[in-house]
Order: sequence, then C-alpha cells, then structure tokens
Amino acid sequence: MALLITGAASGIGLAAGKRMAQRMPVIATDANFEALLAATSGLGHQPFSILPMHIDVTRRDSVKAVVSEANRQLGPITALFNCAGINIRSPFADIAEQHWDRMIDVHVRGSIVCAQAVLPSMCEQRSGTIVNMASDYAVVGMPGSVTYSAAKSAVYSLTKSLALEFAPFNVRVNALGPGPIDTPLLRANRDDDEWERAIEYHKSRIPMRRLGLPNEIASVLEFLVSERSSYMTGQLIQPNGGQVTW
Amino acid sequence: MSDNSGTTIVTGAGSGIGLALVKALVAQNLSVVALDRNVDELVGIRSASLHITEGDVRDRSTCLKLASAAEQIGPISGLICCAAVFRTVPFLELDDNTLAQTLDVNAKGAMLMCQAVLPFLRQRRRGSIVLFSSGFARTGGIHSAHYAASKGAILGLGRSLALEIGDENVRVNILSPGITDTPQPRGNMSEEQMLSRASMIPLGRIGQTDDMVEAVKFLLSEDSSFITGQDLRVNGGAHLF
Repeated sequence: MALLITGAASGIGLAAGKRMAQRMPVIATDANFEALLAATSGLGHQPFSILPMHIDVTRRDSVKAVVSEANRQLGPITALFNCAGINIRSPFADIAEQHWDRMIDVHVRGSIVCAQAVLPSMCEQRSGTIVNMASDYAVVGMPGSVTYSAAKSAVYSLTKSLALEFAPFNVRVNALGPGPIDTPLLRANRDDDEWERAIEYHKSRIPMRRLGLPNEIASVLEFLVSERSSYMTGQLIQPNGGQVTW
Repeated sequence: MSDNSGTTIVTGAGSGIGLALVKALVAQNLSVVALDRNVDELVGIRSASLHITEGDVRDRSTCLKLASAAEQIGPISGLICCAAVFRTVPFLELDDNTLAQTLDVNAKGAMLMCQAVLPFLRQRRRGSIVLFSSGFARTGGIHSAHYAASKGAILGLGRSLALEIGDENVRVNILSPGITDTPQPRGNMSEEQMLSRASMIPLGRIGQTDDMVEAVKFLLSEDSSFITGQDLRVNGGAHLF
C-alpha cells in the first residue's frame, strides 16, 4: 500500500501527506522540490515514511520516473491524490493563450498522465483509489477565475468517466470539490489588505461563515481512500461549509 | 468516534439501514435512541446504551418527546432520519393513502424530527444531522413517482436547513443510497431482479447496509467538519449526479 500525492509541498497536499502517513507510506511530490523538502524534512516517520520527490505533472517522463522509483522503494502505488494545482486570477479579456494552456496542463493533463501511470498496476491488483482535486468552482464558476473553473470542471468530468471505465477493475475514482480553504494557493499574490478583503468576501458566501482548513479536506481524502467508502465512485464530495449545495 | 460521544437519534431503526446503524453505533458503546413503529428486531439487541421507543415519525408529539428523552440520556449530538416506506405503484393506481403515507413518513417525518432536535443542537452549537434521500430523487423510477417526490423533498429540506443553520455549527447532510440489500427492495423485487440490477451497477454489486453505515459515521464525525448541505451518493457509481 502506498499513496502518491502531487502538489504536496503546501496547503491541502501537505496536510494530506501528514495525515495519510499515519495510515500508509506516502510519496509526496511537488514541482517545487525545495519547498517540498523544507515542508517534509522534519516529519520523519509518522509512523509510515514520507518519500519526497520532484515531479512535473505536465511531463510524462517526470511522472513515469516518480512512479517507477516509488515502485522500487515502496511497492505498487494503491492510491493517487491528484492535488497539484495553480491559480492565476485574471479578468477574462486579459487571459493569454499560455495562461489557458498552463491551467489545463497542470490540472487536466497532469491528472490524466498521473492516472495513466498508476492505473495499470491498480487494475492488475483489482484494487485502487484515485482522488482528483476539483473545486466548488467546477460547479458554479467564479468571476476572475474562468480558466481555473474550466480546468476544474474538466477534472470533475474526467473523474466521472474514469470511474465508469475502471469500476469493473474495482478501482474507484472520486473528486474533491472544496470551497475556499486557508492555503498558500488562496493567499497567493494578495497583500495583507487584499487577503483580509478576500476572507470577508468568502465568509459572506459560506453558510458556516469561515474558511476551511487543509486538514478538513485531508480527512475527507482519508475517507475516500479507505475501505469506508468502498461503494462510492464517480462522486464529487464538497467540503465547502455549505457554499455550494448541489 | 470520540468526537461523537453524545446521544444519536435514529429513526426507522427497526429494519434495514436504520437497524444496521443502531447495531454499529451501540457496538462502539455510543448512546442511541432508536425509533420505529416496529421494534421487534431492536429488542433483541442487548446493549445498555440502546434506548428503544415504539412510535411514528408522523406524530409531532412523538418527535418532541423523543428529542427531550434523548437529551436527558446525554446531550444529543446526532440525528439520523432513516424512516421511510416504499411500495411501487403504477401512477394512475396511486391512492390517497399510499401517497399520504409516503410523503408523510419519508419527508414530513424528517422535518418534524429536525424541528424537534434543532433547539438542543443549536444551544450547544454542535451537532450533525443526516437525512436519507435516494438516487430516485434525481433519476426517478418507474411506478415510484410518490417515492421519488418524497426523497426529492429531502434534498430541498436538507440543503435549506444546512444554509439556515450553517453559522451555528450544526451540519446537515444527505445520504442517497443506491439499491441496498434490505427488506425494502426485496419486498418489491425478486432475487433475479436484484441480481440483474447488480450487473448494471458499475462496481458490480448491490449496496450493503455497511456501506451506508460507514458513510453515516463519516458524516457524524469530525472528519466531515467542513461538509454541510451536501448529498453523499453511495451507489457503486450507479449515477453520478
């Protein structure tokens, strides 16, 4: 048993790595290897090992290298958490083509390439779980985040089709659709004033009147990876404080 | 589940998913108040933490008394509304009694129980409510208009209540099972029909009560502390919306 997490250097991915290392070995990967090492270096054994590795989810050779090294050290990967994500907030008119490409590359192609890398062994073992990171904005959209919403909707759609295709192999595929979570990604490119305004804006839209915490998403991931959810596949689970209820 | 140490109320506790839930919760030494019109199966469970009430969720005073009694036993921490009836009837043969019973037990009963427990949960700013809908709320079903309507009402009820009390740290979520191996579908279907249904489900099997029990335990626990107003579809991939 081993769990591969992408985007594990900060936020939800990091919280997931720490939490899941209580249950199974974790391969914690990120494009920012220095940040990943800094975040995971003090963790040691938890009681399972956290293996930090560099990954570029937009490059198939990088993903393949990670999976084969993980297989060598820890055996087959039985769970994948596609958590790597970026956000570029921008008015729609200003969105450059490269911006769109980057958004789709990281979220959509990245999730597909990682899934392709782990599915053969999951199918062979007739056991496995994949959790993709979607978002509330996959369902409702968000002004200034057109490309993010589009990428996350794509991730949700791919989750459903993968779930149907791989259910006969007892491989379950679900998606997480968090609302605003207090992470470096949400905070990125905002000064203190802008961050305070962002918090107030988000709180006003969330019935629970607070941002979520990374560990509140990691706990849902733990449920989706475990046998406790063995009859759930193709679903979007939304830990969002009630922001979106459909 | 140390974070769910108060009393949990289960309606429809006398059979099927409700009964499985009661067994699972008392096995963890959690205090459970169980309501059903038929308590034959419940009385066989030997547990000091199980409190059985024979009664009907359609009766407001029953719901209010049940909530008060549960609060006396230990602070109410959870409410699980499983009580439901389902008998397939061709639409034009649907009589007033069947229609009223289906809407009242399945939907109004949940509303009455929510009203009964909410004051207690609200004053402590803590609690988790789980309502049972069904895949039929979204897909509909042949000869099931009355049942689908009652389960659709649960979606509206649960989501609206979640929005109304979200800032009081009381969470309300919905569980929508697919076909589950309980007396309910077996009353409407033959063994061959059950097997045929299983073959159409992506994960290749009918749901088990344990699948629903685990999902409810998740929704009651702090593991789902940022989840409210959601519909958890535990259906083997039978439908994805």
